[in-house]
Amino acid sequence: MRTVYFADPETAFALTVAAVTFALGVLLLFAIAALGALRRWRSRRIAAIEAQWRGQLERAVEDPRAARLPRIGMRELPHFLEAWNRLRESAAGDAADRLGTLLTLHGIDERALRMLRKRSTRLRLAAITAVGHLREARAWARLEALTRHSGPVTSFAAARALLRIDPRHALDSLSLAIPERGDWPLARLATVFQELGAPVVTGALVTMLLRRPRPGLDRVVKLARFGQPEKISGIVRGWLGSSTDPDVLMAALAYIEDRSDIPWALGAASHPEWRVRMAAARALGRVGGREEMPALLELLRDPIWWVRYHAAHGLTRLKGLAPHELDTLRQDARDAFAADMLGQALAERRWA
Amino acid sequence: MSVLVAFLVWPILLYFVVVNAAYLALNLHAIPTLRRKITLRPLENLPPVHEGLVPPVSMLVPARDCEATIVEQVRGLLAFDYPEFEVVVVNDGSRDGTLEALRTAFGLEGFPEVYWRRIAAKPVRTIYHSRAHARLRVVDKERGGTADALNTGVNASRFPLLFPVDTRWTLHRDGLRILVEPFLDDPATIATGSTVRIAHDGASAGASGQVELPESFLARLQVVEHLREPLFGRLGWARMNAALVVSGTAILFRKDVVVDAGGYRNDVIAEDMELVVRLHRLQRERGERYAIHVVPDPICWTPAARSLGALREQRMRWQVALAESLERNAELPRLAGSGAAGRLAYPFFLYFECYGPAIEIAAYTLMTAMFLLGLIPGMAFVAFLALVFSLGFMVSMSTLLLEEMSFRLYPRWGEAARLAIAAIVENLGYRQLVALWRLDALSRWWQSR
Repeated sequence: MRTVYFADPETAFALTVAAVTFALGVLLLFAIAALGALRRWRSRRIAAIEAQWRGQLERAVEDPRAARLPRIGMRELPHFLEAWNRLRESAAGDAADRLGTLLTLHGIDERALRMLRKRSTRLRLAAITAVGHLREARAWARLEALTRHSGPVTSFAAARALLRIDPRHALDSLSLAIPERGDWPLARLATVFQELGAPVVTGALVTMLLRRPRPGLDRVVKLARFGQPEKISGIVRGWLGSSTDPDVLMAALAYIEDRSDIPWALGAASHPEWRVRMAAARALGRVGGREEMPALLELLRDPIWWVRYHAAHGLTRLKGLAPHELDTLRQDARDAFAADMLGQALAERRWA
Repeated sequence: MSVLVAFLVWPILLYFVVVNAAYLALNLHAIPTLRRKITLRPLENLPPVHEGLVPPVSMLVPARDCEATIVEQVRGLLAFDYPEFEVVVVNDGSRDGTLEALRTAFGLEGFPEVYWRRIAAKPVRTIYHSRAHARLRVVDKERGGTADALNTGVNASRFPLLFPVDTRWTLHRDGLRILVEPFLDDPATIATGSTVRIAHDGASAGASGQVELPESFLARLQVVEHLREPLFGRLGWARMNAALVVSGTAILFRKDVVVDAGGYRNDVIAEDMELVVRLHRLQRERGERYAIHVVPDPICWTPAARSLGALREQRMRWQVALAESLERNAELPRLAGSGAAGRLAYPFFLYFECYGPAIEIAAYTLMTAMFLLGLIPGMAFVAFLALVFSLGFMVSMSTLLLEEMSFRLYPRWGEAARLAIAAIVENLGYRQLVALWRLDALSRWWQSR
């Protein structure tokens, strides 16, 4: 019987791996300690420098020429710009202009322009936001290029900066990217559209809606709520007669607001896609009268719960239908599911 | 015989090297996700989310025999900071006063709501609404278990995202907003899981952002353990869209995929774990683009097991849950387009996490037996133990380094030192004890099949 000795490859292998990994573990332990110490030192240093800036930034809100900024090194510049951006976000009117003047007086606007070319995401984002706030037209070409960046954060921040510099021009420039860039968070884009206001965004929305981009139309339709309804509504309702696409039809049905469009809604009530039937039920309930009752009663027998639910609510909203008539309808309903759904809708109306 | 000894020793040594190298690789793979998080953390310059476009969420709360705690838990959920949500409490045939407590506290009244039974579940008796809390609905149903209650909640829910809530968790007040972000940024998202952290002893850590290292040493060992697999491990897998085992923590699901998948299974211990594995399988089978994300932010806190008995019971339950989830979805690695979820994550969890304890315990037993029988000398046995300890030590240290680089939840020197000690001691018996319990669970599960 031969035993495995120290010199055996198994033992040698185990000891070597153990020694190497143990040394690596100890090294990592030292790295943890060093990193912790470095971070504590750095955060204390940044806090001390920020305390100096904060006072001067607050003074600059009153009078930028009275503010005395200490020299800001390249390492501190992103921290400074982030602090400036935060303050600038909360400032308005003259105070915002004065904060901008502070950067110009100290040549930081030039440094921010140069920072747009940095590879570090953090540096670049701080600079993008700052030049947007400064409405720095010299950054336009670089920002336009950055909107085509593959990363959603950088490209979206660049788009927002362009919209700050010249909203109408930027919307023209971004009208292709807004539907196409599915990675630009729609819920954040919506905030930007709301901030810009309906008079500014309507033109671009009309252009995008007329183009009917595929894919991306669903994004544009969701943003359309921030445009002027009188200019948007006609275009979207026009799709009722020219499209069979469920997403397009649903969007169009949501814009129906008078009886002249009811034939379209009645046509959509028998669409094979249940979401379209649901949108038709909502539209009929919104603008319909007693004449639309048979169509809604038919939808009340739909196999899909949500279609029945909206048909029931549609019936409770129909103009010219008295509450006792709805109770009679419910009692007379031959379909138990339809009767129950109508009962739920009536109860919800009473509770609301 | 010597050839036989070497034949036995080499696979054992290589197994430990490969397992720990895999954990190290996962930690390294998590770094870009963490770096992105760190880079974006100081950026408050992105526009806020427009609340009108945030998807509404249905919180599902299965409740059974929890009369003493349910009212406060529901109050906590109703106070959540999120634009649009509903709380659907499912009373799973409680035999105590759970339903009565809810009725009294929230002024519930029976409501003629039409229940849509899309997923099979035990019959519903009554649906209650509250005039005072429009967001609250309580569904009273026949007793059927947690999965059945969750399926009832799915059927009764109105919103497109589902958030099953475990009342043992403490959730960060912004937790739902953080979990929903991947749904806003990536239309292919079907689920988002969070990582899970160990709460300070008995305290509601995390909700307020005040975090302390647990006092108990046993809890600190669990903190290190949770940093390794459920935190950085999951992040590493999520980067490959292969976060297969996401459970025991807050998960937000897209409702339509849960309904299409048939809802939660009643015949498994951890219905959320099995559902995530099944979603991977079904989406891969259909060849549909999908993403299951993991957010690294510390938003969900769970209490540590306080005693060895409780820890043993918990680990045994987890082991069975893992085995069941993998067994029920055994087709995943054989699918043509199984991707990283089937080709990497599934074998990893099967051979390292599910069968791992059996292999480890067999290795310890075999090496000890060979040493006692004189088949290997003391030096070889010591070398084996040194190898096992050093590999575990290195992986634990890499985990702590990632924590230091990213969230630094325990920034004080004393806390960091105590955590480092726990990370060293963890490899001196604790991991082996847990492996023994897991093997016990595995063998019982195997015999019961």
